[in-house]
Amino acid sequence: MNPALIERANAVHWEWMVYLEMWIAGIAAGAYATAALLEWFGQGRSPIARAAHLLTMPLMALAALLLIVDLSRPERFFHMIVQVKTWLPSFKPWSPMSIGSWLVLAFPVFAFVSFVDALIDRGMFRLGSWRRERTLHGSSLGRIWATLGGLLALGVGTYSGVLLSASEFPGWADSSLIGALFVVTALATGMAALLVISGLGRAVAPPDLRDLARAATFMVVWQMVLLVMFVISLGPSGARVYLTGPYLLALIGAAILAGIAPIALLRFGATRLRPATAALGGITMLLGGFLLRYAIVMGPQAHG
Amino acid sequence: MSQVNLPVQQQAPVQQPPIPSTTTVGGPTAPIDYRRDQAVGFYTDTTVCIGCKACEVACKEWNQLPATRGGEASLSGDSYDNTVALSGTDWRHVKFIEQFNPDRVGGRWLMMSDVCKHCVQAGCLEACPTGAIIRTEFDTVVIQADVCNGCRYCISACPFDVIGINEVTNTAQKCTLCYDRLQVGMTPACAQACPTASIQFGPITSLRERADARVAQLQATGAQAYVYGKEDMLGGLNSFYLLVDKPSVYGLPENPQLPSKQAGLGWLAGMGSAVVGGLLGALSFRKHRMDERRPVVAESLPRDRREVETRDEVRR
Repeated sequence: MNPALIERANAVHWEWMVYLEMWIAGIAAGAYATAALLEWFGQGRSPIARAAHLLTMPLMALAALLLIVDLSRPERFFHMIVQVKTWLPSFKPWSPMSIGSWLVLAFPVFAFVSFVDALIDRGMFRLGSWRRERTLHGSSLGRIWATLGGLLALGVGTYSGVLLSASEFPGWADSSLIGALFVVTALATGMAALLVISGLGRAVAPPDLRDLARAATFMVVWQMVLLVMFVISLGPSGARVYLTGPYLLALIGAAILAGIAPIALLRFGATRLRPATAALGGITMLLGGFLLRYAIVMGPQAHG
Repeated sequence: MSQVNLPVQQQAPVQQPPIPSTTTVGGPTAPIDYRRDQAVGFYTDTTVCIGCKACEVACKEWNQLPATRGGEASLSGDSYDNTVALSGTDWRHVKFIEQFNPDRVGGRWLMMSDVCKHCVQAGCLEACPTGAIIRTEFDTVVIQADVCNGCRYCISACPFDVIGINEVTNTAQKCTLCYDRLQVGMTPACAQACPTASIQFGPITSLRERADARVAQLQATGAQAYVYGKEDMLGGLNSFYLLVDKPSVYGLPENPQLPSKQAGLGWLAGMGSAVVGGLLGALSFRKHRMDERRPVVAESLPRDRREVETRDEVRR
């Protein structure tokens, strides 16, 4: 735990664009990681994995755009990657922001190829021998691709939390568990988005939907365990920045929407789970995940 | 000035030991020569600061920093300190710490000219993803305004709350220890302007000797003087202070740490969490595949078989 200054005058002004970006990037990363899990342990080329591949790339593009626009000098976004005075790569493995910049650059490469693969799988076009009958995902190479992309996705889901922990703001510096919480929130919201798509689209077989609901419920439980551990790890001085005003309400809202509600609705993928109920569970998880990001990003800044 | 009705900010015992000034006891304060490739910095003796703010003015004049925030002059409203804090446009800030009893019969004012500490182990320098923050040949820490893209991570990484966004350049800014003046052998503007030699500039080794001598001198009179920012703090602060009260009284952290110390544990916890999440997901998806491979079960449970067929139809 860092002995941070209690009151800080200089604000980082990481506001709505930042917590929105973290939420969107988390959904994208979680969806892609879920697709990788499905490719390895599920049904291989499943409609859910394909939906994840179609979802990830646009969301990551939006997240990257938000990150760039939020810079005080957006036109210098590439300074994150390149040292402008030497044109050598700018990589500092001890800086979570630097690692995150590279993850946000590298992950979309995998997401883009999977996105194109999903379009080809839908028969929208073909690129030489890359055609509907011979897509990347579903092959051995596809599994390797999914594994590498999935690991990067988990990195994207984790880094923003580690970045907050490795700071001097009370409430962020008081706990090392923000990265752990964020990565499981990413997985949960990613699965939630897929539940919504699958539930509303009705293109997914009930057993597959139940598998996803079961996995999502497990993620919800793990997320709630980590949320409790996070609050405990803050100690009294760190917890005070979250347990007041709108941030306390947001945390309570997150516990209900991303914890109690989906457990009650999804019921670990119960046999009689209806698609509409699964979609509703997904929606509550998404809203709860958003409230969680909002509280954790904004609470310490409001008290700084 | 004592008749002005100022609010009490800090409570203190009535009796305080007298603090001799360096000039009356003959402490050396003359500028010290320095050379390139030598670690230089500031030694600030807070006991002789009179709060004149000449350092703030000199800093703003030399570095062409705006005197107003967003074009408007603002007053704090509760002190003669209207700068309030260090920021992207206030690289020097004289803190007025008012320690008076409720009846205002006894007490003292502590003055401290605050500035970037130019830490040997600098959190901002570690955190900066662009390489905009560099360590110079004088062992000082400088933000290159033409490289910074304003991600603001350095602001959160500074244990001393020194860095802010400069509204003119839209980049993170702080004291450069007058890097441009150092390069031509000059003394930083603030130290040059300080009329009481509260801010002394020179090679760190010489400054530390001066500070230790001054501490011994003050302690001999009964004052609780000590140096804040020795080598055990972030490898040493190249801008260090002689204080006569607890660091928290001056708004300084008691034991500042590098924020990157948190990162290792954060990554580890993140990876652990991801592994648990991955395993839970794998088990969830695996269970179904294992169920599917049991034809006996499928035959004995027509409902399940129907669902398997439905799924296959969807895939087709």
